[in-house]
Amino acid sequence: MAAEVANRFESVPEVREGLKAVNYLADEGIAGVAYLADRLGKPVLIEGPAGTGKTQLAKSIAEMTGARLIRLQCYEGLDESKALYEWEYAKQMLYTQLLRDKLGDVLAGTHSLSDAADRLATEEDVFFSERFLLARPLLRAINSDEPTVLLIDEIDRADAEFEAFLLEVLSDFQVTIPEIGTISARQHPVVFLTSNNTRELSEALKRRCLYIYIDYPSTEEELNIVQLKVPDLSASLARQAVELVHSLRRMDLKKNPSVSETLDWARALVTLNARSLDPETVENTMTVLLKYEADVVRVRRMLQGVGGGDGYGRAHHEIRGRP
Amino acid sequence: MEERITKFVAALRAAGVRVSLAESEDAWRAIRHMGVMDRNRFRWALRATLVKDASGLPIFEELFPLYFGVDQPPMMDPQDGMSQEERDMLQQAMDDLAGELQQLLNWLLNGRQPSQEELEELAQQAGIDRATSTSQAERYARRMQRLLHWEQLQELLELLWELLAEQGMDPEKIQQLKERVAQNMEALEKQLEQFAGQAIGEQTVEEYQKRPPSVDELMERPFELLNEEEMRLLRDEVRRLAARLRSHAALRQKRGQDGRLDAKSTIRANLRYGGVPMELHYRTRRLRPKLVTLLDVSTSMRQVTEFFLWLLYELQDQIQKARSFAYIDHLEEVSQDLATLRPDEAMQSITTKLPPGHYNTDFGASLREFEAEHMDAIDFRTTVIVLGDGRNNLQDPALDTFSDLGRRSRRIIWMNPEYPAQWGTGDSDMLEYAPLCNEVYQVRNLAQLAAAVDRMLAD
Repeated sequence: MAAEVANRFESVPEVREGLKAVNYLADEGIAGVAYLADRLGKPVLIEGPAGTGKTQLAKSIAEMTGARLIRLQCYEGLDESKALYEWEYAKQMLYTQLLRDKLGDVLAGTHSLSDAADRLATEEDVFFSERFLLARPLLRAINSDEPTVLLIDEIDRADAEFEAFLLEVLSDFQVTIPEIGTISARQHPVVFLTSNNTRELSEALKRRCLYIYIDYPSTEEELNIVQLKVPDLSASLARQAVELVHSLRRMDLKKNPSVSETLDWARALVTLNARSLDPETVENTMTVLLKYEADVVRVRRMLQGVGGGDGYGRAHHEIRGRP
Repeated sequence: MEERITKFVAALRAAGVRVSLAESEDAWRAIRHMGVMDRNRFRWALRATLVKDASGLPIFEELFPLYFGVDQPPMMDPQDGMSQEERDMLQQAMDDLAGELQQLLNWLLNGRQPSQEELEELAQQAGIDRATSTSQAERYARRMQRLLHWEQLQELLELLWELLAEQGMDPEKIQQLKERVAQNMEALEKQLEQFAGQAIGEQTVEEYQKRPPSVDELMERPFELLNEEEMRLLRDEVRRLAARLRSHAALRQKRGQDGRLDAKSTIRANLRYGGVPMELHYRTRRLRPKLVTLLDVSTSMRQVTEFFLWLLYELQDQIQKARSFAYIDHLEEVSQDLATLRPDEAMQSITTKLPPGHYNTDFGASLREFEAEHMDAIDFRTTVIVLGDGRNNLQDPALDTFSDLGRRSRRIIWMNPEYPAQWGTGDSDMLEYAPLCNEVYQVRNLAQLAAAVDRMLAD
């Protein structure tokens, strides 16, 4: 019994406009995939470098459709009890303690131990009911009455076994809890999985998903994003900043600055009331973009024009050359 | 259209993109929702359903235009709304003038699409078999045009219009003919180019199978057979590899509980059950080796050493403490270089200390030097890694020092890039060293090296 697939979107442009209304600039591809995910009722696997708005896409879709966002952050050793459900032992224990007298009543009149156990067994359902069930993100998403967006973040960090388990849940959106029975989704959540591609995901999982690769945006796109999110930054300064970030990405750094870091940097520049990207300002704020000492040293060397004759130096002159 | 899509999927598969049956089915469903009218959206529908791997995206982007081309306007019938008399007049004039351009005029003035066979024949004549890359599509389209005598067309058309005017055809009708024929010419030109592109594309699908080897293949390839470009590719791979090794290590950590109850932690965890021990907590051992590495940096060993250093660099957090020594004919401590520089830079700095030259590798002498100066680096917790081919150029192998090293350290792991069959041949003393080591690995390629490093972290 598959849940109804609700058609949330009418057309691709509608998705695009809707995302823009919640401050997310989606290109045709992103909007198209979101639309298809809704129409085909398939999960979307989003890959790409860190900080390019993979998680944000799921959040924005939730915001746009007014759905509840349920997030499952993956990590090594994540298992069913943390992802799906767990019995709340402590609460069961507490209830047993408090209900001790009542239990005594129930068991009154039994003569042998096996008699008592039999009678207790008939009351078992009380202790294994949804009352004592601690729902984790996956069960919450399946059990929810309102529309939900389920975000499974950084799936590549979870173990392969968990992936196999997830596959099962995502294919028919129902879970079986031995003590209670099968719970099916009342409405089909939109599912997003993100991956930073630190390991190969299984073919089976990929087969079930739609796929989109979100790369670093082009200079123009990133500029649009900066201007949308940090409107206080002057246009010319924003352009300089984005161009510098792009030239950094072309360097062989240990960690490339992400879009979110560009935004942080833009905010920092606004806070510092920077008027231009002079070496001093860059020097003072560089650590917003670069998170490794080795990278900072390399970039500093590049900005001072030492040993940076292979195109990085040129970017530097452009920055200085601007008024 | 359906046939196109089926062929396109086949071409993707031939080019090495894994497309399952379920996925091509999804593609059909996606197209049903997205439609085929908006070409860009159609492309995204296919892309999201067929390609599930970032490495497949460039292949998709290259093949797509070959199969679905640019939107081409269909050819129009220029004789629309002409009377039978006028049609006959036109036919007569065409027959009089056409000559070599018969076929071309026929297409343009009757608004008839060239058939697949006609196009194929034309492409064959243009010698399209010899094309090797889709970037040549335009050139072959030109050739096909020449075969149709395209260059004479303009002149001939002028003559045709004059002739028709002379014969008293309505000037308005002539104008209509002119405009439509011009549009048809444009359309035909595009069709030719697209056809050439597709033909070449289908031809080169087989070529794709000879495309550069995948990262997996490179991992299995011996270090000395890698070229510069492949080395660079693999270096990027090292990062992912390191992440995988790290999660192995974490799993081992999780499972590597040594069985002793951790009373403190168990009591704390079970307070919420009223002190009834429902969850047991065990002591975990931190599995982080303390390393002393002895690296052969002679020319033949450079690649494997560099990759080893990249792996160590990425896995710093998994190692408690490391001291590193490089040797060729003598020993230099290089811990400082490795701590402050990136592996490729460190390698350069090491080479300036130990410049490769015509002198001989001498592990024995280097061992003696180690014994004299750095024996303090070794204690019973240390794992000693030797990365070398065990060739001493017939010098003293210093086996007594080596076995002393084995006694004092926790274990010795030797990683050797040579085949075991080569050990002990010529000036190799490997067979004498091997029994003194706890573990010996062959590390001819990155896959083997990664497996050896994994074992090294396993303690």
